Amino acid sequence: MLFNSLPFIQFFTIFFFLYWFVFGRNLRFQNLLVLIASYVFYGWWNWHFLFLLVFSSLITYFLGLAIYKAPNLQAKKRFLTVGIVAVLAPLLFFKYTNFFILSISSLFQKVHFGIHLHTLSILLPLAISFYTFRMLSYLIEVKRGKFIPIKDWVVFFSYSSFFPSLISGPIDRPNTLIPQLEKPRVFDKEQAIDGMRQILWGLFKKVVIADNCGVITKYIFETTQLHGSILILGAFLYTIQMYTDFSGYSDMAIGIARLIGFNITRNFNYPYFSQNISEFWRKWHMSLTSWLSDYIFTPLSMTFRDFGDWGSIIAIIITFLVSGLWHGANYTFILWGFLHGCYFIPLILKGKMNKKKEVAIGKLPSLKEFFNIVGTFSIVMFTMILFRSDSIANAFHYYHNIVSGHLFSGPMFFPMWYYLMVMVLIVITFYLEWLQRDKQHALQNLELKYSVYQRWIIYNLSFLLIMIFSGHEQQFVYFKF
Amino acid sequence: MEKNDILKIVNEVFIDVLDNDHIVLTNASTADDVDEWDSLTHVHLIVAIEKRFKIRFKSDEMSSWKNVGEMVESIEGKL
Repeated sequence: MLFNSLPFIQFFTIFFFLYWFVFGRNLRFQNLLVLIASYVFYGWWNWHFLFLLVFSSLITYFLGLAIYKAPNLQAKKRFLTVGIVAVLAPLLFFKYTNFFILSISSLFQKVHFGIHLHTLSILLPLAISFYTFRMLSYLIEVKRGKFIPIKDWVVFFSYSSFFPSLISGPIDRPNTLIPQLEKPRVFDKEQAIDGMRQILWGLFKKVVIADNCGVITKYIFETTQLHGSILILGAFLYTIQMYTDFSGYSDMAIGIARLIGFNITRNFNYPYFSQNISEFWRKWHMSLTSWLSDYIFTPLSMTFRDFGDWGSIIAIIITFLVSGLWHGANYTFILWGFLHGCYFIPLILKGKMNKKKEVAIGKLPSLKEFFNIVGTFSIVMFTMILFRSDSIANAFHYYHNIVSGHLFSGPMFFPMWYYLMVMVLIVITFYLEWLQRDKQHALQNLELKYSVYQRWIIYNLSFLLIMIFSGHEQQFVYFKF
Repeated sequence: MEKNDILKIVNEVFIDVLDNDHIVLTNASTADDVDEWDSLTHVHLIVAIEKRFKIRFKSDEMSSWKNVGEMVESIEGKL
């Protein structure tokens, strides 16, 4: 059930009615409804894997309580270890078994060792990478004494399977979402209206920008022997597609949560306007970055603190390797993570990694800001080729073809007007986001700047474009992670 | 050493490491209250505090701090 599909709209309309009008006065029933709806939402895709989600939730629920009640630090650590192993095991099995078999098998072939291993036919359970990280953060926060585990199982299970953010995040921490589940909710008209605007903007980015870019990038990345200019265009469009797809999804998730009275974690803060790579990562997939920062980078950098800046560099490279592996079991993701880790080296050595940059205040960026933004975008775009390629060999082939051969020749796949239209839509989208970069999303508080007529033109035009381009329903890129 | 004296010294270390004379820490301060305090400068701060007090923190205690006050308590326990 995709957010941009008819079954979801029907599902959510029924849910919304029951949630506010039937169970609106009873918190426990409301939470129970959230829980049932989340399981229906998940089971719609594949009900078998629902058991896995319930299993992970059960383990996390009981071990959270066990860690809290444990008499000493050793016992807490033991329970945490059991929890981490039990929650991670399904993720490791479903996501990495075949990668492991293939790696061993190719190693055997290299040393001419005559054993042939067969890969297993394994289907990756939807959302597993996301909910696993959500459960892990619960266990770790309890062990660190930063969160008191809840006994109310309805609240806990609603947290662990909360449908707006279940499939592709944001990865909500217990401290953000659980207190909200425990508090009675009142329908806030302003929140709900702005939630609708956020959904509209998310849908626009997904259907109008990401899906159109996707149509082009599919051809470019799946055809061999192309030439420089079209390959650069492909990398550029894929970079735009990744952002509009994933941030569009996140905007929809956040907007849906706001309609039912929740404020969930922000996931994007206009990352492509960042002036260095560190700023980019603080603004891209923010819930994952802060997860990795709290549970991997910070503990590692503390362990290596005697090695000075190089300790931080080792810590950041390991953190990004984990991030790469989290995205997928493929060497392309590992190399992608390694490159991003390496991008931080100059910043760490100069002591400028996290210096909070002031956001440009002008209507347009200054020349220096502009070059920083373009530079940061370019190094991100460079790694997106790895992110999109099926194998390292294909990615290298892509890089190689960009620099060799003719820059301007070869097939175009689509008529010129189509490229122009996509480009114009991209420019308008990013210009609107630039103007609204101090807001949560591009359609927030438009009344402060625009008249009611201008606003309605923006809303109706967005809606019209969504209608024109909807139809060829496409999955979200991050669903496969 | 009194907790308040420890807090004063920690404050000096913050001013020195983060190069900002305007930092005023309280027991309730967290990284959200100090602009320059982030995951990288955190390492520099810890190293400087350990040097200043001639102590060594354990990873479990560092990860359990919720605010500056809890860090000060950890330091007090080691002096």
